[in-house]
Amino acid sequence: MEEFCARWHSQFLSILRIMTGLLFLEHGTGKYLGFPHLPSVPPPLSMGGVGGMLELVGGALITLGLFTRPVAFLLSGEMAVAYFYAHAPRAFFPVLNMGEDAVLFCFVFLYIFFAGPGPWSLDAMMKRK
Amino acid sequence: MNFAAIGATWRPHVLSILRIVAGLLVLQYGLAKLVGWPAVKMFENLPWLSLFGIAGMFELVGGVLLVLGLFTQPVAFILSGEMAAAYFIEHFPRGFFPVLNHGDLAVALCFLFLYLACAGGGPWSLDAVMRKKG
Repeated sequence: MEEFCARWHSQFLSILRIMTGLLFLEHGTGKYLGFPHLPSVPPPLSMGGVGGMLELVGGALITLGLFTRPVAFLLSGEMAVAYFYAHAPRAFFPVLNMGEDAVLFCFVFLYIFFAGPGPWSLDAMMKRK
Repeated sequence: MNFAAIGATWRPHVLSILRIVAGLLVLQYGLAKLVGWPAVKMFENLPWLSLFGIAGMFELVGGVLLVLGLFTQPVAFILSGEMAAAYFIEHFPRGFFPVLNHGDLAVALCFLFLYLACAGGGPWSLDAVMRKKG
């Protein structure tokens, strides 16, 4: 078990990064490309619209693993803003203010900023070349 | 700025912080389902031996252990499975995309716990304290 983990844990980091990026990307494409079709879409120059732009571009870059560290840093900050601006005023506990996603993404991106993208990423491919 | 150098120094500690935050989020669900605090409408008078009640037990015990960093790897592995089950039982039937079926959190936690099952709890954990002593 220990050997398996030592061998594979950076690959699992890449999987975590790709899944988080896809979840993020999907919110951005929903807001800007109409896919998946969302029941309501915020206007482009609102808080939610600017957030959608970051989700679209940032989500794509995180999924590909391109410029991972600076992008993850930016998105971590965005999620902190989203939490305190949109969710915290509603209630203290994330389970009541619906801010769990924002909290979790904030800390996952913070970790990715420190840990890097892992081996399955464009960053790692470019470094090998 | 040399991101890689900063990352190498602080990475294990940030892993511990991430584990604690994820543990608190899960613990909160366990408390809401079984203890009724924080009070969530959907979980009012939830029987302990229902699907949600049993999920709550996983979340209560697993959340406490994750926050403390005790038995992190097996606990994270079990919770990863629980989150996968939660996603496919509760969210997936409502729609294919997590943004529509509201399963984002379950997916994100599932893969995060899978990572923790491999990476462990980092230096700020009871596991690490016991390893130092043992």
